[in-house]
Parts: sequence; structure tokens; C-alpha cells
Amino acid sequence: MRGDDLRFDEATLANGLRVIGEHNPNAATTGMGYLVHTGSRDETPEVAGVSHFLEHMVFKGNERYSAEDINRTFDELGAEYNAFTSEERTVYFGSVVADRVGALLDVLSELMRPSLRQADFDVEKKVILEEIAMYQDRPSRRLFEHANERFWNSHPLGNSVLGSTKSVSDLSRDQMQAYFDRRYAPGNVILAVAGNYEWDAVLAQATERAGQWPAFETHRDYPAASTFAGHEEIVDANLHRLHAAYYAPGVAVEDPDRYAASLLASVIGAGDGSRLYWELVDKGLADNASLSHEAQEGAGSFVGYVSTDPERADAVLEEYLKVIKDAQEHGITQDEWRRAQLRTATGLTFRAETPMGRLMSFATNYQTLGEYQSLTELVNEVMETPLEAGARLLEARPFDRDYLVTLGPKD
Amino acid sequence: MSFEPASEAAIHELTLPNGLRVAFAPMPWLPTLSVTLSLPLGSATDPDGLEGSANVLHEWLQRGAGDLGSREYSDALLDLGVRRGGGSGRERSNLSFAFLASVAEPALGLLADSVVRPRFEDAEFEPSRELALQELESLKDAPTQLLFEELQERLFESPQRRSGYGTEAGLRALSPEGVRRDAAARLGPSGAILGLAGGGKWDELQAVVANAFGGWSGVNVPLPAAALAPVGRHHVDAESTQMQIGLGFPSPAPGTDDAYTYQVALEVLSGSMGARLFTEVREKRGLVYSVSAFYRSLRGFGYTLGYAGTTVERAAETLEVFLAELGRMAEGVSAAELERARTGLLSSVVMSGEATGSTAGRLANDIALFGRPRTLAEISGRIEGVTLQAVNDYLAANPIPEPTVVTLGPKP
Repeated sequence: MRGDDLRFDEATLANGLRVIGEHNPNAATTGMGYLVHTGSRDETPEVAGVSHFLEHMVFKGNERYSAEDINRTFDELGAEYNAFTSEERTVYFGSVVADRVGALLDVLSELMRPSLRQADFDVEKKVILEEIAMYQDRPSRRLFEHANERFWNSHPLGNSVLGSTKSVSDLSRDQMQAYFDRRYAPGNVILAVAGNYEWDAVLAQATERAGQWPAFETHRDYPAASTFAGHEEIVDANLHRLHAAYYAPGVAVEDPDRYAASLLASVIGAGDGSRLYWELVDKGLADNASLSHEAQEGAGSFVGYVSTDPERADAVLEEYLKVIKDAQEHGITQDEWRRAQLRTATGLTFRAETPMGRLMSFATNYQTLGEYQSLTELVNEVMETPLEAGARLLEARPFDRDYLVTLGPKD
Repeated sequence: MSFEPASEAAIHELTLPNGLRVAFAPMPWLPTLSVTLSLPLGSATDPDGLEGSANVLHEWLQRGAGDLGSREYSDALLDLGVRRGGGSGRERSNLSFAFLASVAEPALGLLADSVVRPRFEDAEFEPSRELALQELESLKDAPTQLLFEELQERLFESPQRRSGYGTEAGLRALSPEGVRRDAAARLGPSGAILGLAGGGKWDELQAVVANAFGGWSGVNVPLPAAALAPVGRHHVDAESTQMQIGLGFPSPAPGTDDAYTYQVALEVLSGSMGARLFTEVREKRGLVYSVSAFYRSLRGFGYTLGYAGTTVERAAETLEVFLAELGRMAEGVSAAELERARTGLLSSVVMSGEATGSTAGRLANDIALFGRPRTLAEISGRIEGVTLQAVNDYLAANPIPEPTVVTLGPKP
């Protein structure tokens, strides 16, 4: 992980698929992933949840590999593998000990050409409905499903990743195929590899396995966001705690102030040693009171969460808002800023211990911004972000346009 | 194919005159260093009627140390870029620090201060207890976590049945004087372990550790032996969409030959998405999103917990398929299953060995559970040594015992 040992590799196949790698001669393992630039923000309401459902279906295989073949192949490689879907991307990834890179690339590439068989689709639909039911039983998750949609106010970033019981129940296999045919273009996909690998071999194999995927154009909408502001209360007498979600407009991932926004959120609401921590968690008034910043393409948000006793919720929420507004009115200090920088930089360095941890960072960054950033560059950028950038963000008074919604037994 | 562990270097060990055991796994290519201080205090040794004392003590310990009050202590850590973690469990509690190896000396000094020179300020006691009460209350809105607490409470007869969170009555009965007395009885160095992994040189680190922790004194209380309650089936009423299904049964003690054999067998059952449980319960029948069985260990005692979450009307079928798969283990596993299971375990040994946090935790756990740390090479060698014959002989002689089952959800 010493910076001078690392090498960045980059190529674009004829059909537009980009292949990137960060080679680390010290790594014992190699991480690899296909990052598809598609997610719930690319869905229409009739197919809400299709990106995530498709992510499950991809593991069901094609005419060459059955679902069991796929699972067995990953197991034979000793791969740690998985996939996830967000508003903006769908990622299929795995790690293996370094001499199995070729076999991992084979099976991951096979995943990207799924058959979407009707019988598999019917069984997997039940699994997705169980997943939705599981999250129904997690109040914070249920709250954020609601809050995200309301805050984004019909902007596509408010689309639910899971979809609803109804939208998933109503979804057909052909609708999923149409979505796949519209979104899974090679130009919309990055193959990323990190750790110990041979670049020439990876590139040759990627060309052989993915170079024939037919190219076509894809399009993502970037409408202006007009976010919702206000307060809401949702009552559920079965709950024991008061859960609150907090949103305020932030900055987009393309914005040079994205690190400043995240440092600002860290000063105000990191899990430990932040202003919200000292005012609420340290005093035992809430077991969770946090604020973070999420930068997405074209828009961003400050997002917070509070968990507290229903009986003292009013006082706790008042204090929560006061801490945030106080930062906006009076600013933050150089000491606080430097501590947030150190916290962030150390966190990035620890995540980079494993090839997979590193891959998620540089590959998503590359997909969004079209450029590679080494760990050293990333850490430097965080450490060099001036307090003034945070102050500038506060001058725009983002927390005047905030949204707070509570979910709990209180009426 | 090879399974070369990331680090071939030996593990360095040291026992301070006060009894603190120290183990360091060098990972010289990394700039990071992770440290786990494992303390011999948990809910199983909480004084009767004061369940939750270890939990509050663990929180209180982190609120200032030595010359620094709570806020100053936290700021000093942030100034070094230290990230704190850890938690309080049934048998032990951990304080974990992660930092750049270049600040090892001041960071280890601050960690040591929390146990060598704890402040235990009155003003910090009530918030510590409040936080514990709130976390206990939050469990009620987290059905899966609540299920595991309810399950283990019914699985064990011995004090290991007690939740690490404590009980409301126990937490309310605590006082600052009482918890200080408890610390005097339990917070000694002789049962404590310091695991370190990452960049840094051993000769320098051992001097820093000896200097920082050498002045620590105190005693410990013995850990009761883990013992199980009679097998039973229980239901806990809760308002929820899904039925939470949990099961538990005894397994070989950690570090024994049988434990390696059993872990390979368990990997066949539930080690991956190609394993039996996932295939039968989710892939073929679509009964659940989540299903698993995993090994847990206490000192000298191993057990297995199983989990499935499903909507109420499918709960009976889900449990039936789960139990059938447990029963089928007695028939043995195939050569191909064994090979995949060993490969999966060996691979995860290599992967966990790349991260400093998991490595430091493993060193501390090994010493706590069976008295000595293992190198990655030893773990790999033991797994590679498990043969098909050994697994199938073991499973034939030791069929999975009837589990204790707890369901949590709407009345069935």
C-alpha cells in the first residue's frame, strides 16, 4: 500500500466498456467488479424496484450457467462475492486469492449476460417480497424509504431502490428484459480490478469475454432538484422508540466542494466526537444523533438520523436542530475542521487495507468523475480542503431548507 | 492454487509482569495499526441483580482517563486521527483503536490510560447508564437482534444466557460506587489481552506497551463454565411483518480438532450462497431473504446459532426445511462439497489476514478462548488437514443435536 508501489491501468474496449485496475504487488488477494451505471433513479414508476430485482436475477445465470452452476463456481474459487444496488449504480463484485483472477473474471462476465428465465423470476420475486417485508420490520429503514422519496420531491433520486410490494408484485419478466436492454450497454459499464493481477492477461480476457457485447446508447436524466422542506410526523403505536430522519440540500458529487460538505457534516454529526455527539449522545439523551453528507450525480444532501425515547423526543429534536442551525449561524472552528480531516483521512487509509475496500473507492470515483484518484491523492485532497470551503457552504444556508420527519409511538 | 497468507511473519508475544498478555502480528507493508484491548468483564460475570454493570463500566471507562476529562480525552484521540470501536459482550469487553502506526506511542498511551488511570467521574456515570438504557430499549424496535438475545437467554442455563446489554432492572440498580467496586473486582490486567496488528516494529512496540500498561494493577473474577438449558421451543410475541426464527445447539469447543472438522461441515451447510441452507430454503423455495447458521464461541465452549426470517404464513415450512437440512448432515457430505467448503474457509483466512482490525481481534480472541494466538499458516494447515473421512465420521458419530428454537413475531 506504499503509494509508490501502486500502478493505475486503464483501457477502453471497442464497444465502449472501460477496464481499469489498481495494481498492488503486496496484495494477497484480488478484488474485481462490474459497475453498471444504472439504479433506481433510472426507473419509471411502473417498474419501481427493477434495478434491484434484476441484480438478484443476474445470479440465476444463462444458457451456459444455471443458478447452481454460478454459486458452485464462486464456491470452487473460494470467492467472497456479492452485489448491491443503489439509486445510481448496480455493482457485482468478488474477491479471490490472487492466482484465481482469470476464473473470477470468467464467472463475473457470465453474470452480465443473464437469461432472465420465467421460472427463476417467479421464485426470486418471493425472495424480493421477503426482503421488503424484512425492511418493514426495521423502523429506521422504513422511515428513510419514506423520507428519501418525500425530500427529493419527484426527483429521480427519491425513487425507492427496493420498490414497493405492489410494484414488485406487478413487475413482469419482459419489463425487466426491456430495462436490461435499455441500461446494460457496455458503454455504461466499468470492469474494475484491484490487488495482484497481470494487466495484459486481464485486458485480453476482458476483450474476449465482454468485447462482443453489442454497443448502444444510454441516457440518464439529470433534472434540477427542488427538494421538500418542512416537518412531518408518522405515528406507529407498535414502536418503542422515536426515530427521526433529517434532510437538507447538499452538493453534487461533481462539485469541488463535495469533500468540504462531508467534512462539515462530520464536524456536526459524526458518530463520535462531533457536536451532535456531545450535545445528545454523550449526555445520554439519544442513543443515535448523526449527520452525514451524500454526494450524488447532479445533486446531494445532508442526511441525519436520531433515535431517542418518545417521552423526551421534543426536547431532543429541538436540540438536534439547534446544534445544526448554530453551526450555520456561527460557523465551525479550525480545530474541529482539522479533526474531521484526520478522521476522514484515517478512515480512507484503513478502507484501503484490502483490495476490495480500495476498489469500491477508486472505481466509483472513476465511474462518476471519469478520473482516477490514488489513495495518496485522495487523502491529500481531504487534508487540503480549507475551512473556508466549509464556511462558504454554510453561507448558502442549506439548513434553512431542511426537512424533518419522525416515526414513533407518540401522537 | 496456493493459499499463501498475506503475512508469513511469526506472531510476537509478551506477558507483562502484571499478567497482561500481548500479541502482535506484523504487517510491515501497511501504514496502519489496529489494537484490540480485550477485558475479562462481561454480562456473565455481572454481579447478581446488577445485570448491565459491565456494559456501563465499558462506557464509563471511555469517558476521560488520566489527566484528561471526557472531552479532552476524546479531542486528544481525534487529534491523532484515532478511530475508536469495541463493545461489551457476554464474557469479555473490547476497546479497539485504529490509527496510523506513526502515532502508536501516544495512541497506546491514551488507550492504556483508560484502564490504568480511569477517572470514573460521578458526572459521567448517569449519561453512561442512560445510554445503556436507551440501547436496551432500541432492541425492541430491532426484531432480528432481539431474537438473538431471546434465543441465547433460553439456550443457556449458566450466566452466559445474559444479554450483553443488561436488564432494565439491573441497569437501574447501578450506582457510581457500585460500578467502581465492580471495576475494582474485575478490571485487572491478569485476564486482559492486547492484540496488535499492522505496521510498526515489535521492539519499539513492546517497549511502548510495557511502559504504557506496566503500571496497571488489579484482580479479576473467574468466568463460570458455560452450560446449556434443556432443549425447548419458545415463542415471543412481537408486532412484526416477518416471523423471526432462531435456533441454537452445542458444537465443539474452539481450538479443538473437532472444531476444525465441524467448521468445514458447517461451511457445507451454510458457508456461502451455494451452500445447502441457502440453496434449499432460498434458491429453490424462495422462502426467505436471509437464512444462515454460524459458529459462536465462548471460553472452552462452542455453539451454533441459526437464523431465518420469513412472513408468518411461511414460517412453519421454513423451519421444517431448516430442521431437515440439519438432520441430513448426519448422512455426511460429498467430496465436492468438502472441497468447496475447505476452499471457502482457506480463502477467507487469507482475506481476513489482509485487514489489521480483524487480525488484531483474532489474536485477542484466540488467547481469550484457548490461551494462545494462531498464525494464519496454522489455521490454514488445520483446515487443509480436515479430510472427507474425518468430516463424515464426525457427522455420523455426532449428528446435529435437536436445537432450542425461538420464534419472535405475531402469535402463530
